[in-house]
Parts: sequence; C-alpha cells; structure tokens
Amino acid sequence: MARSSSYDTQDKHPVPKFLRGWILPAALVLLWWLAVKFNWSASPLLVPVDKVWDTAVRQVRSGELEIALEASLRRDLIGFAIGVSAGLAFGIAFGLSRLFERLIGPTFHTLKQISLFAWIPLLSVWFGLGDAAKVAFLSLAAFFPVVLNTFEGIRSVPADLVEAARVLKFNRRQWLFKLILPAAAPSILAGIHLALIYAWLATLGAEYLLVSGKGVGNTMIDGRELFLMDLVIFGVIVVGFVGFALNWLAARLERRLLAWRGRSVVQF
Amino acid sequence: MTLDRRTVLKQLAASGVGAGAAILGLQARAANKPAIVRIGVAQPGIGNPPQFSGSSAAVANAKGWVEEEFKADGIKVEWFFFKGAGPAVNEALSNKQLDFAFQGDLPSIVAKSAGLKTRLILATGVRSNIYLAVPPDSPIQSVKDLRGKRVAIFKGTNAQLPINRVLEANSLQERDLRAINLDQATTLAALSTKDIDAAFGNINLLRLRDKNAARIVYSSKGGSPIFTTQSHVLVTDEFAQQYPQITARVVKTFVKTSKWASDEVNREEVLRLWAKAGTPYEHWREDYDGEPLRVRINPNFDPFLVARYKDSVEQAYRLKLSRSRFDVDQWIDQRYLKAALKELNLETYWPIFQINGKILGT
Amino acid sequence: MSAQQAVLELPSSASPVPELAQEQGKAPRARFRGNWSPRWLALPFPLFLLLLWHVAAQFEWVAPQVLPSPQSVLLTFIDLAASGEMFDNLKISLLRVLLGFGVGLAGGLLLGVAMGLSRVFKDYVYPLFKAFSQVPVLGWLPLLMLLVGIDEALKIILISKAALVPIALNTFKGIENVPARYVEVARVLRFSRWQLLTRVIFPAALPPVWNGVRYGFTHAWLALVVVELLASSEGLGYMIVFGRQLFQLDVVMAAVVVVGAVGYVLDRVLARIETVLLGWRRTGF
Repeated sequence: MARSSSYDTQDKHPVPKFLRGWILPAALVLLWWLAVKFNWSASPLLVPVDKVWDTAVRQVRSGELEIALEASLRRDLIGFAIGVSAGLAFGIAFGLSRLFERLIGPTFHTLKQISLFAWIPLLSVWFGLGDAAKVAFLSLAAFFPVVLNTFEGIRSVPADLVEAARVLKFNRRQWLFKLILPAAAPSILAGIHLALIYAWLATLGAEYLLVSGKGVGNTMIDGRELFLMDLVIFGVIVVGFVGFALNWLAARLERRLLAWRGRSVVQF
Repeated sequence: MTLDRRTVLKQLAASGVGAGAAILGLQARAANKPAIVRIGVAQPGIGNPPQFSGSSAAVANAKGWVEEEFKADGIKVEWFFFKGAGPAVNEALSNKQLDFAFQGDLPSIVAKSAGLKTRLILATGVRSNIYLAVPPDSPIQSVKDLRGKRVAIFKGTNAQLPINRVLEANSLQERDLRAINLDQATTLAALSTKDIDAAFGNINLLRLRDKNAARIVYSSKGGSPIFTTQSHVLVTDEFAQQYPQITARVVKTFVKTSKWASDEVNREEVLRLWAKAGTPYEHWREDYDGEPLRVRINPNFDPFLVARYKDSVEQAYRLKLSRSRFDVDQWIDQRYLKAALKELNLETYWPIFQINGKILGT
Repeated sequence: MSAQQAVLELPSSASPVPELAQEQGKAPRARFRGNWSPRWLALPFPLFLLLLWHVAAQFEWVAPQVLPSPQSVLLTFIDLAASGEMFDNLKISLLRVLLGFGVGLAGGLLLGVAMGLSRVFKDYVYPLFKAFSQVPVLGWLPLLMLLVGIDEALKIILISKAALVPIALNTFKGIENVPARYVEVARVLRFSRWQLLTRVIFPAALPPVWNGVRYGFTHAWLALVVVELLASSEGLGYMIVFGRQLFQLDVVMAAVVVVGAVGYVLDRVLARIETVLLGWRRTGF
C-alpha cells in the first residue's frame, strides 16, 4: 500500500471494519420498521417487517427455499462458466488480432446493444422450452462483459512492456502467460466480476421471461402475481443476499489472483 | 450444496443425458404413438408443481387424469406454463414445441391468421368474467366514467375483445381512454398505489378489494355473456393428422373431466382445486355464485360460442390486432368432441345455446 | 501527465513497434505487426449474417412466425417509418435513455470515486451496493412504484440504475488499480492532493472508467426494453414487447434493428471520445 506522510490515509475511524458494511442495511431495516409503525404510507405495498420474517421462516421450513435456490444457482453457475470461457476466448482474439476486430467488431458492438429480451424467440427455437434456453440466455449475459473487458485489458498493455518482451525474445507461450494475461488481468477480472453480476440478474430474468419452472425468481414473480408483497420482499432479500455472497466469493478470488501485484497498486 | 467439480460435471452429464433423451423422444414420434404429449397453458403456473385455474382443463391437470389415461401406453404427458400467456404459447407452437394448448380466443385467432396451423377441439374456461376496479375513493362509478382516464388493459390476451365490447356498449373506444398495457401483477401494484385510475382484469382483481385497495365498479357477471372471455383447447394440425386416436382420447379425457366438474356435488372440490393456484376459494365461490356449473364448464362449441368466435375474428381484424380473417367453421374441428359425447352418452348433458343466447329447447 | 511520461519514457531505438503520436488529443493510428485491415472489413460479417437470415427464412429453417424474412421486416419498417410511428417511438426512447444515462453517469462516477478514494466510505457502502446491484428490475418495481408511481420518473430511475452499476464498479476498480509507482512519483515530485488526483489518479484510471461509461450506456439502452416492457405505452421497447404480444415478429425485428443501429451509432460516438481522451496511451497491440 502506498503510504506516505502527505497522503496518509490511516484508518482512524471509530467503527471497526467488519461492522461497517452492516450499518447501512440495518439503518434501512429500521427505516422500514418505522415506516410501518408510524403508517407513513397506507399502501398495501408496504408490508410489516415481522410478516416478511414469518414468510421467510415458512419458506425455509418447508424446504421450498432450498429447492428454488438450488435450481437457480445451478443454472447460474453453468451459464456463467460457459459465458466466461467463450468470452475470454473471444476477447483474446479481439485483443490480439486487429483483423478479427475489424471483421467482427462492429457486428459485435451492435449485437451487444440489443436487449437479450429480443433474443428470446430465437433462443426458444434453438434451445427448446427447458433449462437449456435459460442457461443459453445466462451465458449471453455473461459473455459480453468478459469480451469487452478482456479486449480493453489487452489493449491497455503498455507499449514499453511489449518492447521489453520483444527484447527478451519471448516465445508464444511466454507472451501470453508472462506478459499479456498478467497485464490484462485486472481488467479481465473486473470483466468477470461484472459477468457474475449480470449472470445472476439474467438467471432471474430468464425465470421471468421463459417457461415457468423452479427458481428463486419465481418466488418473486409468484408473489407479484398473487399480490403477496411479503413474498416479493422475501424474494428480493434472498436474491440480493445470494448476489452479494457470489460477489464476495468473487472478490476473495480476485484478491488472491491479483495478490502478485502486492504493493504495486494504490488501494487507498 | 457443494459446488465442486464433480457436482458440476454431474450436472453437465445429466443435462447431456436429458438432451439425448429429448432427441430419442423426437425419434420415437415417428412411430405410431408419441413418446410424450406436450400441453401448453397460457397462464403462469403458480406453485410447485405449477397449477392453474378457472377451467376444466385446470381440473384435469390438478387431478392428473390425462397422465392417467396414457400411463398404460407408456406415453408421458408434460404441461408447460407460460408467464407470457397466449403470445408465448404461440411462439412455442410455431417452434413445434407443443402439441396441445389451452389458450384464450384472441391469441389463437392472431396466431391462426398469421399462418399457424391449429384447430380447436374443445371449449373450456368459457364465460369467464371480466372486472373493472378503481381505487376506493375514486369518483368513477361505472364504465361510462372512464373517458379520458388512465386505464390498465392487458393487451393481446383474451380479455381485450370483451373489454372493447363493453367500451363500445358504453359509447367509448379504447382511444377515448388513456390505455396502458400492463400485465396482471403490475396492474395490481399500480392500482394499489393509485398510479392508474382504473383497471380491467379478471377475478384476481378481487384480492385488492379484500385489502381495501380497490373497489369493483363493473363485472360481467350477471350481464350478457358477450362481455365474457372465452378459451379453448387446440391441437396442432400436424399432431392431429399423425395421431388422431391420441387426440380423440385427450378430448375424451377432458370431456369426462368436464362432466365431473359440472356435477354440483363436486362444486366445492372444484373451486378448492382452483384455489390451490393462488386465487382464494371465496373469490371463486363469489364468481360462480348463482350460476349452475355446467353453463361455464361446458366443452361444447354450441352455436352461441361459434358466433362469439366469428365475432372475435372480425373484431380482431377491425382493431388491427390480426392481419387476416378466416373461416371459423373450418377452424373448429367438432369431430373429436362429437365422438366423445356420443361414446360417453353426454350429448344432452350440457345446455346448447343458440345464437340468440337462448338455450336450445326453451 | 508530463511527470508520468518523464518516468516511463524508454529509449526508443529502432523498434519494430511503430510509436504512437505523443501529443495529447491525437488519435492513435492503426498499427499492427504488418497487418493490413482497412475500414470496409466491417462489412463482410454482417452481410454474411444477413445472407444467413435470408436463406433461413427462405427455407423456413425457423417458422416464419418466429423469424420473419428480411424482406417482410424491411416492408414493415418502411410502413412504420412512413406512418411516423417509428420516429415517434424512437424519440421517446432516446430521451428516456439519455436522461437515465445522464443520471446514472453522474451517480456512478460520484459513487465510484468516493469508494475508490476513501477506504472508510467503501467499507460502509460497498456491501450494500453489491446486494442492491444484484436485485433485478422486477424486484425493485413494487418499492419504486410505491415511491414514484409508474410515470416517467420510474422509467428514468430504472434506466439510471442500470447505467450506474457498471460505471460505479469500473470507476472504483479503476482507481483501486492505479499502479503504486505513479503515486510514488507524485510523492517524489511533491504533488499536492489535488494535483495527485487530477494529474495521476484520474488519468491513470481513465481507461477502465471510460470502459465503464460505455457499459453504462449499453446497459441503459438494454434496460430500456425491460422498462418499457413493464409499464409503458410508447417507445421502441414497447414496440418490441407489443409486437411480440400480437405475434407480429416483423414489427419486433424492425424495432430491434433500429435499437441495434441507434445503439451502435451512439456507442461509436463514445468510442471516438475514448480515442480522443486516451490518445496519450501507448498501447502494445
């Protein structure tokens, strides 16, 4: 960590580190509880905290939550893996070959702007009505950020490092593993992080847009259809929490993989 | 759940096996009987396993009678539920992913006029009511007061045509309102936050009334059946041509279900079965109050219903919802129905309505 | 950036890698190890896809109701353009996206910079941010409807949320990934805090930040369809949704083509700005 007397950012804050993340969510729950208690809104969309808690307990006890979570997570991880692998391959091709970029680039940049929703009729044709279509939808969502960030990362490899590699007469393998991937790694990992976020969002989106099945998204959707706001809020909390957990895992992994940078990055 | 490599590989292998089985299933279709019969439902299935409500088809699904019928032959039956309702079912039909479908009149009309080859084989879920709800303190008292107001309508579903008829009966057109296209869930939420002035919908609007978030100012119940929605079961031409016996047996199963569900003795059980899909039993009871079950759980394409469908084809064309007109009499294939009624001796069990709305024989 | 360049300049010998223009603001010329790739190379692939589409429609590899032929889409497009419908819907959608993107851009940059520069702020806010960003539009809808109704405000907020997430994330990461040696140089040169920020941190973080901005725009555009799906009666997304509901997939495709084209044009504008802003960058490839 770059520290000096002039830019010292010594951690003098009173609240201990591990608690800080919980303060805002706790404040929100408090706000929610107050809003119900003092009737700030008469709308049936505002559900008391304890009602949501009851629903939560019920869902966990009946095992429904477990089934739904398992189904959603399974699809999420498979689609994520597919999307990221394809994205890496594509992104490296883009980054290293100007020809490839010129040929496919404009089409790619156009396609990325087209909402996945518009792909659904075609996805249904090719992948049928089951889980395969949902996984395909997911993979697409994960694919695009990985490609873009990989491409960007490779383009950001500083020219002086490239010259150094040339001088040292790197072979193909060394080019890739000692120069390109490490230099592009921060960007690539940021892309994978984004892909994780979008894959999870797409998992839920797929449950809304494609045939009904099992999944956490369906919990939220059923709740909306039947106007059971406690179920909706429960679904929202579960979704947010799982997403958060996935992100946290990804961040740990990222830190591990980028640990070789050590003190070479700022990290205020 | 552990996310180790073995689990992932197992899942991938399982999906691979699943894909293989699907391909095998496709090949088996070439034989004299299909390996699997696929039924699409134009409603979101609620719960695990998904269920729906409001028709004899729903009862058959809940009771598993179609599965039972074909178990001895080793034919599987699979039900698919579509949140996108009718339009999503149409896409699946186009992709040859369904054999039978439960749909409302308008989506099927739209599909047929776009060239989808289907035929209607059974009426189910007919004469379902539409409701108009407003916020509790709203000045709107009836359909007439809707001029210039923001009204939610779920377009493309079979409610759209009766809604237009109700408006026309009150000298209004859709463009005299500020109509917003909202699905059911969003409609319920928007009405409760008073972001819309009124909402047309089905029985699910009643739950807002129970929470004091809305008031029902109009219902087609008790009025002319012209203002009700109609649905049916259809089969793809391809499946019917390839497996006429299977089609006939499916129709027979549904007719048997309709008979069971029309029996007043079973009224409570029918309504409770439907309630499992989310709409409370009390609402179903209210909706069916004072009407004999067999008027609405009627599988017949009697002259009145056929006239309704012809009217809908015209209306859809007029409203630019469909791009062509076609012959409804050709579209409805009454053969399976007539054969089933004869075989089960139910030809006079249900009232046959004439075009003028009166029952045959009265 | 002179301090940075002073440190990083290597003796430039007769290097096979041609140098980039050193001055700021000049776009880098295309350079590759001898590869020749002119502009028109962009055409073959899309033309190939178009041909594939035409053949697929001709031989009905996919049902015509699901994949209408290019000709019918063109005809429908001409119809819609002539009746003014296409332009009206485009105008409305464009306005929504630009407004939503603007709000998301401002918010995302602010949030990203705050999280990047202040450890404490990040500790408080990042966890909640992560959880929030993972809840889809559908989940937010009830709460937002409660707060702002179903009018334009709802749509703008949803679109801005879609733009804010990648912008904030990329900005935050961009600042976090600034190489320490730049900061050391700044220290050696006794830069003030302000100089550190404006002459070292922000320029170094600019590539990922701008990448985030481009994402943000893409996602704002993508969110448009979802938002108009949920509660709207006009716009390009509405055309896509309603076309699908009426089983008129040619209307859907016409709208999709317009969405793709307009989105592409705007994205190119952002890319252009990128080459201007990052002209000083000496990339290896």
